[in-house]
Amino acid sequence: MKTDTKSIIKDYFKNKSKYDELLTSKMDIKSDWKELLDNLLKIGPEKLASKQADIDWLLAENGVTYNVYNDPKGLNRPWNLNIVPFIIHQKEWDVVEKGIQQRSEILNLILKDLYGKRELLKNGIIPPEVIYAHRGFLRSCDQIAYKTSKQLLIHAVDLARGPDGRMWVVNDRTQAPSGMGYALENRFSISKSIPEIFDDINVKQPSSFFNDFNQLLLNVAPSNVENPMVVILTPGPLNETYFEHSYLSSFLGYPLVKGNDLVVRKGKVWLKSLKGLKQVDVILRRVDDVFMDPLELREDSYLGVAGLLEAVRLQNVAIVNPIGSGVLENPALIPFMENICKYFLNEELILPQIASWWCGQEKERKHVLSDLTSYVVKRIDRSNRENIYFCEFLDKEELKKLTDEILENPTNFVAQEKISFSTAPNFIKEHLEPRKILCRTFSIAKEDSYSVMPGGLVRVAADREELFVSNQRGGTSKDFWIISDDSQNYLQNYSWNKTISNQTLSINDVPSNTAENLFWSGRYLGRTLFTARYLRMVLNQMMHVQFHNDRKSESESLKILFQSITNITSTFPGFTGENEEEALRNPLKEITGVALDSRKIGSFAQSLQSFTISYYSLRNLWSKDMWRVFDAIQKQLKKVKEEEEYTMVSLSAFFDKMITRLIAFMALTEESILVRHGLLLYFLGLQIEQASMTIEKFRSLIIVNYDEDLEYQILESLLNSHESLNIYRHSYSSYLSIENVINLLLLDTEYSRSLMYQIQRIKKDIDRLPNTNSKTELTQCQENIETVLLKIQSVPIEEMLEIDKNSNMRKKLDTLLSDLSDLLHTTSLSISDTYFNHSQQQKQLMDRKIAN
Amino acid sequence: MIFDLWHKTKYSYENGASFCHNITTLKPRSFKGQELLEYNLEITPTPTDISERLDFFGNTVTRFSIQQNHKELIVIARSKVSRDYNLQIESKNAVEGKKITIEKALKLLKEVDPETVEARQFALLSPLISDISPEILAYAAKSFKPERSLFDASYELMERIFTDFDFDPSFSTIATPLKEVMKEKKGVCQDFAQIAIACVRSMGLPARYVSGYIETLPPPGKEKLIGTDASHAWFSVFIPQYGWIDFDPTNNQIPKNQHIVVAYGRDYYDVPPLKGVIYSTGSSTMDVAVDLRPAKAHQTQSQSQS
Repeated sequence: MKTDTKSIIKDYFKNKSKYDELLTSKMDIKSDWKELLDNLLKIGPEKLASKQADIDWLLAENGVTYNVYNDPKGLNRPWNLNIVPFIIHQKEWDVVEKGIQQRSEILNLILKDLYGKRELLKNGIIPPEVIYAHRGFLRSCDQIAYKTSKQLLIHAVDLARGPDGRMWVVNDRTQAPSGMGYALENRFSISKSIPEIFDDINVKQPSSFFNDFNQLLLNVAPSNVENPMVVILTPGPLNETYFEHSYLSSFLGYPLVKGNDLVVRKGKVWLKSLKGLKQVDVILRRVDDVFMDPLELREDSYLGVAGLLEAVRLQNVAIVNPIGSGVLENPALIPFMENICKYFLNEELILPQIASWWCGQEKERKHVLSDLTSYVVKRIDRSNRENIYFCEFLDKEELKKLTDEILENPTNFVAQEKISFSTAPNFIKEHLEPRKILCRTFSIAKEDSYSVMPGGLVRVAADREELFVSNQRGGTSKDFWIISDDSQNYLQNYSWNKTISNQTLSINDVPSNTAENLFWSGRYLGRTLFTARYLRMVLNQMMHVQFHNDRKSESESLKILFQSITNITSTFPGFTGENEEEALRNPLKEITGVALDSRKIGSFAQSLQSFTISYYSLRNLWSKDMWRVFDAIQKQLKKVKEEEEYTMVSLSAFFDKMITRLIAFMALTEESILVRHGLLLYFLGLQIEQASMTIEKFRSLIIVNYDEDLEYQILESLLNSHESLNIYRHSYSSYLSIENVINLLLLDTEYSRSLMYQIQRIKKDIDRLPNTNSKTELTQCQENIETVLLKIQSVPIEEMLEIDKNSNMRKKLDTLLSDLSDLLHTTSLSISDTYFNHSQQQKQLMDRKIAN
Repeated sequence: MIFDLWHKTKYSYENGASFCHNITTLKPRSFKGQELLEYNLEITPTPTDISERLDFFGNTVTRFSIQQNHKELIVIARSKVSRDYNLQIESKNAVEGKKITIEKALKLLKEVDPETVEARQFALLSPLISDISPEILAYAAKSFKPERSLFDASYELMERIFTDFDFDPSFSTIATPLKEVMKEKKGVCQDFAQIAIACVRSMGLPARYVSGYIETLPPPGKEKLIGTDASHAWFSVFIPQYGWIDFDPTNNQIPKNQHIVVAYGRDYYDVPPLKGVIYSTGSSTMDVAVDLRPAKAHQTQSQSQS
């Protein structure tokens, strides 16, 4: 035990920074950390390391990710959580909490004033340029009245411990602050992976904070409806914190929507759902201010809703936070905060801030420029450009450039004192290491004050020497504990104990965008699986021929199969046309392309990619098992793409694995997503795709009349690729005949792989879709699928089998299949026209190409 | 003088538009020296909803949306405006105001009375005047010397732009960057106004963009044709303790009774006559026609009263 003790914190003493959370200046362990350190020592370095691995695994399994734009590692970087939490004692936190409440209230009053009377400017409390030069000050939001008593509803504060031992405010985030969901998931992960770390420590849980948050979302609804419609607006799956958007959507039970799911009509906001429009009362948004309304704000935005600001003005919708609150994300306010606090509250600021100088003031600017290297310089608004400069690390040229920029637009810059913040223990390679940390916590409006999350999200610098703590640059996170001397309630169960009923009660309410994504997921998944099975069948056939190349018919049948690949997957020219000879010389090369080339339209890899995109945007509907299988599929594909050479065996083995996983995924989809959440649309997509591809398969294999030997080969392959050879033998116990194959695979009404069955299934599902017409009238979709069914029933099997003497082909069968294919396509289009969001493209009346 | 003003904008959509949200800034302002007597906005097809409000700068904007499929959007604004420049000038301030030097103006701008605070935002960069090139700074510096009167400097700037720049509607579009205009010295009224504003702001002084109309007179002996006028734009400079003074660099004159003011803002971005978001596929074309002429009714009425 003793030796363990040494090994875990031995180096810690050596590496201790100026100010550390764990150690006092005399190298004693601080009393607040004693229990935690005891627990860590008791668990021991090996077990800690294995638990850390568990946490990493759990987070990856749960699909907790953080996207980094332009990340060479690709989208969806796994979220990192260090096993050692960060601790603040309740006694200290009480003061911090009061300080945050005070700060939230001041910011709230500033926000009201700036878009109202602007007394702060008129009375000389803030120089007008601090506001007018800030791009977050949105003139379109001027004089908007709100029904809520607070205008600032959510406020995130970044805190760090300064040299005086107090927690300092480093940043305020007020537009669409992120981190709440990650903080919660961190707590769940630690509790689940290593409950013993909590032994003898009373940790405050965020349950009541999240209750307050949910209540806030309901209370801000401007109308007095009983169950206000709340939606979460996301910029989409490419956003860095998309995981959190979908996480909060599932956690709180509110639909996750994108801008084009919403529309403003008659001054109100509506969600486009399968049944029609549904009024939205509250939007919890993760889209930044200027993107919220292309009519009045940034004109090139496709993330918002045109006309939204007017709906806000008319008090028909509440936005959390209100549009325009980004004006508070302004470091130029810091030097004036003390005066603002006095002006509004006649109080002193409770929480210290970093000493800051706004360069718009002559004296301050001179002071800063006289010794630029000793400051950290920030732009007052966060534009796309670099907005923070650590001047001590700039070379001469860079300093000159920055000086010029400051002199040119002094109002746009703030200089801040360099502060060395405290370090906290981080568990790395079986020992503890001090790392710089930054804590983010959240404050939300509650009655006449603010409710502060006990704890929050702690981010840790990526390297020991790193100054700048940010997720965007990588790095890890910590659970944030507020510990108390009194015992605390347990963490509320993972499944959110909702006081309100779920919004999405029936299929009618499914957002049409979700429905469309489900439909296309079904189609792409169907296509992916179908392609995989077909390619696998051909590969197996190739191997077979390789070893038994005695029969002529077999190599001939192979050629027919190769060409059918091109036809079924539409990867022309492939094995057909001018390309035929060359492709046939090295068929494996062409097949590898159809399998793995994601740029080739129709290839397996490309279908999988399309599926990934449409499915990824449905993340909030996923279960954890689904994520795991999904992730395994992605990894498998990545792995196989890295191989240098492909053989029939390796490709076939690859498809074996893929097919198993795709089927697992399908099964999970069916049991995880409720019909009322739109599963029906997924089934429709899947069935339509499978039916269409079945038709293509028949058209490429059994239209031409082959001699007996060849026909046998082809029919066997056909049944094989359809996974129907056994059932055929079972049903017919006879030599393979075209007639029986058609009877089984096209016309059987009870066999789930037959075309007839699929068409009937599609019809059944279409009948269950919301009918927007009067009840008795058939929808366009119903009429179309009815035509498909009548068509396939209209041709007797004898006619299908008829061989046209001139062409030696089953022409009537071909015509029938071709008609069915067209009719199915029409049915698919009518589903899309009737139920999906088909607003025409959003455009500016006049494209001014202004990004502001 | 009383004017009848008529401004028609027509959009034609190749494949129709299913839905649109629009904002117009077409209603002339009222202030000392200009009074809006009548105003009427006619929109075809009839909007589903329409509302009017004052924007941040005190301009009247109208927001409307059309929720039925339409091939054409026609917006006609009709106004009757009375203009009397003599009322606009406060003679006792004018003499003093015109003497205020640039140096003094910069000092006075540090004050925080409401009018100055308001004005100070117009000294900053704005969406379409988002960076000031060294060429603009150099061009402005020639006229703006600290000891010089701000009014004289602005007047000279107006004259220089009028002389140095060519009016060339084929050169620029609303998306042409200021730098290009400065380099080529070509453009239309809106470019000249924005060049002037950039020049004034490069000196740390407030200047704003004014959108409106100017009455054009037919060649002697000819009848004035309907719809041949156009929207116009010029700039305005804030002289502390005096107020905002307008300058028209396209016509080299101080706007007086032939100019009707519709709106002002930081630059064109704040005050487009008509903007909107439409849902449509395919291309669209736009036609604008403006007519500004002395009111007939007013002439007859004044005759009958005399």
